Amino acid sequence: MKVKEKIENLLYKVSNPERYIGNEWNQIKKDWESHRIKMALAFPDVYEIGMSHLGLRLIYQLINEEEDMICERCFAPWFDLEELMREKNYSLYALESGREIKDFDVFAFTLQYEMSYTAILNMLDLAEIPIMAEERDESYPLIIGGGATVYNPEPLAPFFDLFYIGEAEVGLIDLLRKYKILKKESRSRSKILEELSEIPGVYVPSFFQPVYNNGQFTGIKKVRGNKETVNRQIVKNLDKSFYPVEMIVPYKDIVHNRAYLEIARGCTHGCRFCAAGMSYRPVRERSKENLVELADEILQSTGYEEISLTSLSTADHSEIEELVKILAERYQQKNISISLPSLRVDEFSVELAREVQRVRKTGLTFAPEAGTQRLRDVINKGVKEENLYTAVRAAFNAGWHRIKLYFMIGLPTETEADLAGIVNMAKKVLKIGKDIRKNTDKKMKPIEVQVSVGTFVPKAFTPFQWVRMNDKMEIEKKQDYLRRNLRGRGLKFSWNDPELSLIEGLIARGDRRLASVIKEVWKQGSRFDGWSQHFKAKRWFEALEDKGYDLNDYLRERDYIEKLPWQHINMGIDLEFLQKECEKAYKRELTEDCRQGKCHGCNICFNFDVDLVLAGKEEGIIHEN
Amino acid sequence: MKIRIEFSKLDGVKYISHLELMDTIRRGLRRANFPVSYSKGYNPHIQLSLGQPLAVGMVGMAEYFDLDLEKKIEIDKFISGLNQSLPPSICINKARYVPDDVKSLQAVVNTAVYLIKMDFKKNIDEERTLNGFVNFPEIRVVRRRRNKKDRIYDLKPMLYNASVRDDNIWEFTVSTGSSGNVRPSEIIKALSERYDEINEVPLVNVIREEMLVKKGNKFYKPFDDSIVRS
Repeated sequence: MKVKEKIENLLYKVSNPERYIGNEWNQIKKDWESHRIKMALAFPDVYEIGMSHLGLRLIYQLINEEEDMICERCFAPWFDLEELMREKNYSLYALESGREIKDFDVFAFTLQYEMSYTAILNMLDLAEIPIMAEERDESYPLIIGGGATVYNPEPLAPFFDLFYIGEAEVGLIDLLRKYKILKKESRSRSKILEELSEIPGVYVPSFFQPVYNNGQFTGIKKVRGNKETVNRQIVKNLDKSFYPVEMIVPYKDIVHNRAYLEIARGCTHGCRFCAAGMSYRPVRERSKENLVELADEILQSTGYEEISLTSLSTADHSEIEELVKILAERYQQKNISISLPSLRVDEFSVELAREVQRVRKTGLTFAPEAGTQRLRDVINKGVKEENLYTAVRAAFNAGWHRIKLYFMIGLPTETEADLAGIVNMAKKVLKIGKDIRKNTDKKMKPIEVQVSVGTFVPKAFTPFQWVRMNDKMEIEKKQDYLRRNLRGRGLKFSWNDPELSLIEGLIARGDRRLASVIKEVWKQGSRFDGWSQHFKAKRWFEALEDKGYDLNDYLRERDYIEKLPWQHINMGIDLEFLQKECEKAYKRELTEDCRQGKCHGCNICFNFDVDLVLAGKEEGIIHEN
Repeated sequence: MKIRIEFSKLDGVKYISHLELMDTIRRGLRRANFPVSYSKGYNPHIQLSLGQPLAVGMVGMAEYFDLDLEKKIEIDKFISGLNQSLPPSICINKARYVPDDVKSLQAVVNTAVYLIKMDFKKNIDEERTLNGFVNFPEIRVVRRRRNKKDRIYDLKPMLYNASVRDDNIWEFTVSTGSSGNVRPSEIIKALSERYDEINEVPLVNVIREEMLVKKGNKFYKPFDDSIVRS
């Protein structure tokens, strides 16, 4: 049934109605033919956030490239539209056809952050689909999930039919095609899941059963299917892999409203707190020839006036200097600007930024992450204090007046000296800026240093997956200290809600039992927990108590010999490597980037037969093992 | 080189704002690879000059914008090229070159024609009711203003014409722009306050059919020679 037509004339009653209309430039609307398998692709947040996510755009076009498949988009409706939908009994719909989600074969969720999980349940409910997998038979769409936080899928396990572990380009199409055949043969949901579980990367949570002993997770048992572990799927050669060129151009001014060009995937700096740095290995770069061609095509197809060169660490790309030069020259005439997110803390990055930012100099962001050399060594952030000062000096000299510094509190081994270090660095940067401004004859706005301090959350599949997370009192005390000391003209301090970080920490290393907590919190009315004004910590604490779980037990330090709830997922990185990295952290020992040539034995290349691919270079890495 | 364009903002994009519409047109012009002029300064952008903004939720049948080009393009090519580069709900109808010093749309357009799809509680004599309405000596309405106190004004002198176009489709020609602006919501409110049998309707029931230039007692389209060349 088509809901969108009915809802459209009521949209004047809601805020931001353009979130719900679709029909943007480059939208793909295919005929609803019976031979086609239909997938609704959901982002469990509002339109402007979901549409800013490259992964969603990539999958959307990847699937629609296939003649026998339809992929349509679906986002979480804001409170006002939800109220209207529930009042009128309108079911959740997809933007392209306007049909109910129930009409689709597959309802796929992209999992990007833990705090969006309540929105997933709400979207299922709005789609009139039972939220528990065991209550769904083959008449309902297959509910699947994947994305950045899928590597610990356990807190979501009872809600999903299956998860796809790894990069969608590798196996999502095969998965859909196989499902289509099985459905046509009128197999039962249970039989279908059995068949699908054979596909590499497919994890059917109901085929595994966690074991608890005295309230502690002690392991997970395979109860059906043929797999003990599920291997992450990795694109071997990004340069030859699909890239979405005809990107949708939203009407609404979304969060990142520009063309995206993914220049590389993966990062091997090896920061020990970073989930992305571990879970997207190995580094795979696209060649500059390919990138220039892609950039031309994307810009012609979208008409965007800005293109962003994205990756986990943009300045690392082996050909970045030439690439930026070529693009800057090519697009200057056309008034297209280039943006470089995620720059490193060094002069080279500032030079790059200068190359592209000929106009409109506003802010630059650097992330030293920790306030002292000691702690930066612990986390393996290879940044020296002098690197930062050289970088900001170059930035101020080039005309930037606003510098944003990103730090974390709550890292393992942190002491008050590390907090004092954050304050010192921020003040020193401010002083460098003020001196430069005083001595320049150029016009320069007052220097501004924004210090943004996040709270460290231990994540699965990182060397810090075993460490204890700070409790509320510790976080608040540290934030208080910084608030008191980061004062004065030109200094700005921002921080995260400590309770929000704690709940993120709870779910990030949570087990399957937490599903009942997430469900309860959603029932109490939570939907947009990632929106701090709508996050209600009380509901989480009450639900935990109600179910008899202890927050501190989830945030505590884990022993190396303990079983972890995500251990049946195989990321391709050896557990021994993570453990060794954790031990090295406490000894302040550094591990250099393997792109320099030396292998440190994370073993991803061996385990999954993949390779570090650096643009313009024949040889990747020399393995010593 | 200045070109004046008439376009329709149809149902599919009635919920996008004025600024979103401008960005959409700019990106369409880029996709069409037209030799458009950019503003000077720090952040060069395509300069579009639109008329009075259309409220979110309303369809506009004859909207206008002016644009500077670096090089002349044939009118037919301009229209078809831009239509191919815009979402189908934004439709370029006509275009003509105008002198560089032409008065801006904001400055000349002072009249709008609205079609309102009415909603009645019971059958009424539409002609008679509307006639009665326009013959009130005074039509006082409340103007709601953002961050300011409400104000009361008389709509009557700004209401130039009203007629029943079709069954429950009423047409109103009113003043618009800086020298006196009547909002369609105020017409609807004024009607429903005075007649029990008339329900208030939302803005999605309104179409802006025309934007005109009133000179004395005559109305001209912004494309008219007498407007373009004066």
